[in-house]
Amino acid sequence: VIHRIDALLFDGHSARARRVTLRIDGIELVAEGEHTWRWPLDQVRWPERTRHGQRVLVLDGGERLQCADVRAFDDWAAAQGRRDGLVVRLQRSWRATALALVATVAVLAAVYQWGVPLAARAVLAFVPASVDQAVGQRALDSLPEGWLMPSRVGAERQAKLRQAFADALARAHPPAQGTLPAWRLEFRAADKALGPNALALPGGTIIVTDAMMDLLADRPDALLGVLGHEWGHVRHRHGMQGLARATAVGAMASLVVGDFSSLLAAAPALLAQMSYSRDFEREADAEAVRLLRAAGQSPAAMVEFFKRLRGIAGSRRVPIALASHPDSEERLRYFEDAARP
Amino acid sequence: MMDRLGNSGEGSRTLPIRFVGSGSEYFRIWIVNLLLTLLTVGLYYPFAKVRRLRYFHGCTEVDGHPLEFHGKPWAMLRGYALVAQLALVYGFAQRSSPLAAGIALLILMAIGPALWHSSLRFRLANTAWRGIRLRFAGTLGGAYAAVGPAYLLALGFMLLAWTAGTGATRGKEPPLLLSLTPLLIVLATPWLLWRAKRYQHVHYEYASERSSFSARVPQVYGVFLRTVLLSMALGAVVAVVVGLGAPGLFALGGLGELGKPKPGTVIVYSLLIVLAALLFQVLLRSYFTARLQDLVWGHTASRRLRFASRLRARSLAGVTARNWLLMVLTLGLFYPFAAVATARLRLQAVSIDADADIDDLVARRSGGPAEAAGDAAADVLGVDIGL
Repeated sequence: VIHRIDALLFDGHSARARRVTLRIDGIELVAEGEHTWRWPLDQVRWPERTRHGQRVLVLDGGERLQCADVRAFDDWAAAQGRRDGLVVRLQRSWRATALALVATVAVLAAVYQWGVPLAARAVLAFVPASVDQAVGQRALDSLPEGWLMPSRVGAERQAKLRQAFADALARAHPPAQGTLPAWRLEFRAADKALGPNALALPGGTIIVTDAMMDLLADRPDALLGVLGHEWGHVRHRHGMQGLARATAVGAMASLVVGDFSSLLAAAPALLAQMSYSRDFEREADAEAVRLLRAAGQSPAAMVEFFKRLRGIAGSRRVPIALASHPDSEERLRYFEDAARP
Repeated sequence: MMDRLGNSGEGSRTLPIRFVGSGSEYFRIWIVNLLLTLLTVGLYYPFAKVRRLRYFHGCTEVDGHPLEFHGKPWAMLRGYALVAQLALVYGFAQRSSPLAAGIALLILMAIGPALWHSSLRFRLANTAWRGIRLRFAGTLGGAYAAVGPAYLLALGFMLLAWTAGTGATRGKEPPLLLSLTPLLIVLATPWLLWRAKRYQHVHYEYASERSSFSARVPQVYGVFLRTVLLSMALGAVVAVVVGLGAPGLFALGGLGELGKPKPGTVIVYSLLIVLAALLFQVLLRSYFTARLQDLVWGHTASRRLRFASRLRARSLAGVTARNWLLMVLTLGLFYPFAAVATARLRLQAVSIDADADIDDLVARRSGGPAEAAGDAAADVLGVDIGL
């Protein structure tokens, strides 16, 4: 058993190092060198053990006792009955760190799956609708110039669809069940890149492209389904939820690797946005089915829509918004199942 | 002359800086503390941070004596809570509306220098070497004065963006002076950086020593200029390689029907371009970081202590490129190894020439308690002392 170890004493005032020998005497720590110093043990702050670096004891009075012989110090401290704290014991064991690694991945996955959506919903409850509108306006402003032009669809046809949509909404959500979020239906001739498309902006604006109106000219029921899908985004504030979730994931990522690179920390937020949007699409599709049924139409209308969309897209990837969404096979099946009596 | 205690006699000598930490040990510290942080919804973060700083300080040995970090996690917790809220609100505002983003930015700008100042005070006051704490002697007013010109230019730029937005609808041009602000910002950046560095480097104190900063403005412009020249040279190389490489690659990959390249070839080619762009960035950044560190620390000295820095841009670029590659391949798990490798390279490039008997140095007085909010801000905003 080691009773004494060598150390350097710094008195906290001068940079001079003094060579001393340390020992414990009852309830006192004693340093013996050119003088003898004594401190009550409860004024001694012990260092946490690490494999690299030295051991430094800090006294409440500002003195330091520095020991470069780590192994001797640890033996001496152990002989005094010093035990590592829980965290230090975990840190020093490879098995515990492997477990911690697995647990960390599991926790991150759980937070990503459930925690972030829950937190986003909770936060959004406090965000007024005016913010949604500002965000929607900003998204609209950020589109390249010339992407959205005045529609060529006749006013009469526009009014008819608007009415049909309002009727279906009223039937799907009876007024007794509370007020619905505000919505506005707009028609636009869009750039070719958008193709047959419909967008829901935060704040309740739904934009339908002329190409979409052409694609479904003979199927007003499918148009209603498309509107129902976009309405789902409006009703669940998906745009805002996406923002809130991306913010949360970004914050989490910067917690993990933030000070390595902000660019690398931004990547998970981007990936998250893509994968969360899949959940949003599912919710929106459910809303489309609900609206179609309320209007007395079959969800099969959406099956027809998907087939036509695929027809014009050919083998190349389907356009943005409604169909950029992955798993269009899965969604097709969802509507087919819903169409069965 | 030096005895075995590291107490020196007459004459001057060089105090080497050694970083003795290891990636594998830091990995274990990192993962355990990260888990605890996650399990406590972030409340443990200051404790994790303290442990990290203690490890990095403790592994930094100047002349054989480790640095010590003395920050108290409980004191830091409050500061972190404050800054975390600020950051979340800011992050959300940034994405919601231009007006909200503008207001959030103005608020951040207004309190930024105060956070910077308290961050420096906190860091230094909680760092000790040979039993004596460091001190940051800069004043709050000094911090605002240091960034004042940068703020003037930033406000000018915001005003320009605003008048351009409203003026465009009325067909009016913004005033000439205002239109020049983007150019002024580009031209003034090295000078603004110099002002910030000077504010930091004339206010470091250790015992009775107070640092001074002798880098001149043209030298900072030199660093920027050489970085720009390097980027042009690298750009030319990349352009030649891409230009020559494309036909070769397509010839190798073969052309599909109608003379169009096969999709696979296109993917490989775009991947190569992305890689080249990343490498380009790594090289430039490393060059700039290394030259700036050498310039700034090489011109920092006190009456009896002189810093010197010899950081090779090539080594830094090598380590950074390796870090990036392994970080991506391990989905971030390489992070602790990367942090240690970078710290070792950058710290060991620095040395200190000590003129006199270091033992004569005596602490002046203990500084008051420093506010931890600033240190939290340093984490979130990414300001630090640059080492």
